[in-house]
Amino acid sequence: MAGAVEAAKKAAMRLILLILALVLGLAAPAAAQPLRTEHTEMELVSARAAIAPGERFTIALRQRIIPGWHTYWINAGDSGEPTELTWALPPGFTAGPLRHPAPEAHRVAIVMSYIHRGEVLYPIEMTAPANLSPGGSVTLRADAFWLVCSDICLTEQGPLALTLPVAAAGADDAIWAPRIAAAVANLPRAGALEARISAGPPARLSLTGDALAGRAGSVRSLLFFPFARDVVRHIAPQPGAIGPNGASLTLEPGPARALGAGPLAGVITFEEETTQGWAARAFEINAIAGAPLAGADGAPIPAAGDDEAAPAPPPLTLPLALVFAFLGGLILNIMPCVLPVLSIKALSLAGGAQRGEARRHGLLYTAGVLAAFAAFAGVLIGVQGAGAAIGWGFQLQAPWVIGALALLFFAIGLNLLGVFDIGGSLQNAGAGLAARGGDLGAFLIGALAVIAATPCTAPFMAGATGLALTQAPWALMAIFLTLGLGFATPFLLLSFSPGLQRLMPKPGPWMERVKQALAFPMFATAVWLAWVLTGQMGARGVLLLLGGATALGFSIWALRAFRGIGARGAALAFAVLALAGLWLGTRPSALASEAWSVARVAELRVTNRPILVNFTADWCVTCKVNEGLVFTRARVADAFTAHNAAYLVGDWTNRDDAIAAELARHGRAGVPLYLYYAPGATAPVILPQILSETLIIRILEEERP
Amino acid sequence: MTAFSRRNLLLAAAIAAAAALTAGALIATSADAAVETGAPAPAFSAVDAQGRTRTLSEFAGRTIVLEWTNRDCPYVRRHYNSGNMQAVQQAARDAGAVWLSVISSAPGEQGHLTGAQAAAHAQAARSNADAVLLDPAGVMGHAYGARTTPHMFVINGQGRVVYQGALDDRATANASNSPADARNYVRAALDDLAAGRAVATPETQAYGCSVKYAT
Repeated sequence: MAGAVEAAKKAAMRLILLILALVLGLAAPAAAQPLRTEHTEMELVSARAAIAPGERFTIALRQRIIPGWHTYWINAGDSGEPTELTWALPPGFTAGPLRHPAPEAHRVAIVMSYIHRGEVLYPIEMTAPANLSPGGSVTLRADAFWLVCSDICLTEQGPLALTLPVAAAGADDAIWAPRIAAAVANLPRAGALEARISAGPPARLSLTGDALAGRAGSVRSLLFFPFARDVVRHIAPQPGAIGPNGASLTLEPGPARALGAGPLAGVITFEEETTQGWAARAFEINAIAGAPLAGADGAPIPAAGDDEAAPAPPPLTLPLALVFAFLGGLILNIMPCVLPVLSIKALSLAGGAQRGEARRHGLLYTAGVLAAFAAFAGVLIGVQGAGAAIGWGFQLQAPWVIGALALLFFAIGLNLLGVFDIGGSLQNAGAGLAARGGDLGAFLIGALAVIAATPCTAPFMAGATGLALTQAPWALMAIFLTLGLGFATPFLLLSFSPGLQRLMPKPGPWMERVKQALAFPMFATAVWLAWVLTGQMGARGVLLLLGGATALGFSIWALRAFRGIGARGAALAFAVLALAGLWLGTRPSALASEAWSVARVAELRVTNRPILVNFTADWCVTCKVNEGLVFTRARVADAFTAHNAAYLVGDWTNRDDAIAAELARHGRAGVPLYLYYAPGATAPVILPQILSETLIIRILEEERP
Repeated sequence: MTAFSRRNLLLAAAIAAAAALTAGALIATSADAAVETGAPAPAFSAVDAQGRTRTLSEFAGRTIVLEWTNRDCPYVRRHYNSGNMQAVQQAARDAGAVWLSVISSAPGEQGHLTGAQAAAHAQAARSNADAVLLDPAGVMGHAYGARTTPHMFVINGQGRVVYQGALDDRATANASNSPADARNYVRAALDDLAAGRAVATPETQAYGCSVKYAT
């Protein structure tokens, strides 16, 4: 709503300015006819109504962009490019670069752009030659080229000209002198902030100076915009922190991979809370490589909540995250993964343990839980450190990882259902520990409960984990220890309150049922992973996965059914071979194929190309073996290319009368059938049903005309 | 109740490993997918303009060039109107590489094409690509972290990403700036592969229009 009011105010302001400009237009010789395109209006304006020989003066490119569209900053970010002027100046004139106001970050999907919107004034420093003769006039000309984008991009271009009278004494332009002066004053201020870039990882840009010192709590949306295009990964968040002397940002390196190896220049923007509300600030910085500046780290810097382009969810702050972590830990106790383990331990407490011993065990259990969470946090801290170096997005993109995970969950499910027994379940393990009793047992069962819980906790902890990864290691550790504390609390209470212990359920067959029921979340996970695999590998991936699951089931059965090492080995070898056969048989062809038809064969024969026809079907094992061993091979594909041979496939997986007729014509009732038409030959040669790589290559060589 | 044994530990370790991987997966999916140079290329399965399903594994052993494209993007038009893109495509094919153009524009967004439209456009533009892959859901685009048109990826015979970034060093849509004498990173990468060298410039900042993913 505030945005709309603001926009209306701006529109009214523009209208007033427009009327003013029209009224004063006649008296403003500095204004030339603007260049109007579909989305932009461009003109050169001058702070001087008349220039004197030899003087330095400021003009500006005025770019007015229609609402919803934007142009680009010096570094356009991931897409786009900045407005460009190619000057054609009178002799002796020099023009400085287009000076850009601070940009806005504009994110769409995975693309981050640095943009300008609305009306943009780009100041340009000009120098006039000393030998100009007063009384005349000069015309400064430039060809402009720019990209203007909304969700789509267009290039626009055209000539610009600015004619200025030359006088013995120059004079300011009544309209543009103050506006250009304001634009210059509004440019990112250079030299006000001292900056350092440390290589990391993570690379940290630290800033100190009066503009940021002592501003903790009144600064938000701190952003860094590099001048160079390839030094920073634009889309990466820039977590910021503010300390007594200044602020700092974490940056991810861009393709140049040189963050911290040399100086880093760019613009820093942030918003500062003033008595009039939040005010935009911009500074140009030139960071030198080195250790972070002191006093520039501390409390996290929040982002503005009213980003209209991409409303970001309010970030979870640390205290709130700790509360959630504790609650999350409590909830974990009723997860099916955990309850059985806990019940057994609780029962052992109820079963006659002394009060003092129960309390000690409760505390030791808590210690075990905390130790396990601390270990997990340690792993995450390690991953966090490595992640900055190796980047994310590797695990689940590899289909074999997905497949292996699906099989693992399938196997765990089978185990929980009791199909096979590798010495009891986790619950029994817990019971074994509990039965053993002792202080070590109590500690270990705490750790074990955490491990048992992880399949259930992973989804619940995603939020905490996501936040934790953006935090300093100590904050990450705090989150996980709080989670552990929440997790341990119910049992701790139980061990201190014998009254509660009496409410615990008794052991019985229900525990076995709970264990079996746990198999189904495992199977559900495997199903989900199979679905992920479909997206990566298509139907073949699912076929291989189900084949793998069958082979796994077979192997488990064989290991239980046979005792002899020979029989077991043979069974395992059979499973592996069958799987390898499935892999080979379904390997996609390396050969580009066309669908077979009588007409296509006739067409190709006219062109004198050698033709190989493969009549096949998905259910035909011989066909698939031949395809796996021959037609998928690169050498065969190369031979086809070398001889410009055509490869036609008649797929008889489904009923097809044309294929059936063709098979009959060659005296066959089924597939495979391989036909080879040599160039110029009157009839095809029928190839053997068992093919080999060398056979196909030889045929192609021999039959060459 | 059986006693605690080494086998229980094995099972516990297996479950812990599964849990750790699941957590890793959650972490991975929460981050923006971007391919690391040198890492295995993400598998893909996409329908081409002719309606055939094309996959990464189909081209195992061959060099692959991926080109994200959008025929209405000024940057793409500059390269096609000047014949530059077709020349690089031809050079790549002459070197034995497979060239796949990828359209990740969502339906209703600029550059979205049906198979028939994509085939007709490829012919009209005299494209030398081996296939045009249609990725309207942006799955392949996100897997590779494709941000712009054109955004280029070169995958070697071992299935690893050996180059990603811009086509060349002229980050402009200005047609008066000829791409002919630009430093072409894709050609250079293919030359390096052909000579058995490591790719000298494995990663650059891509330029162009944003890929028109569904928003």
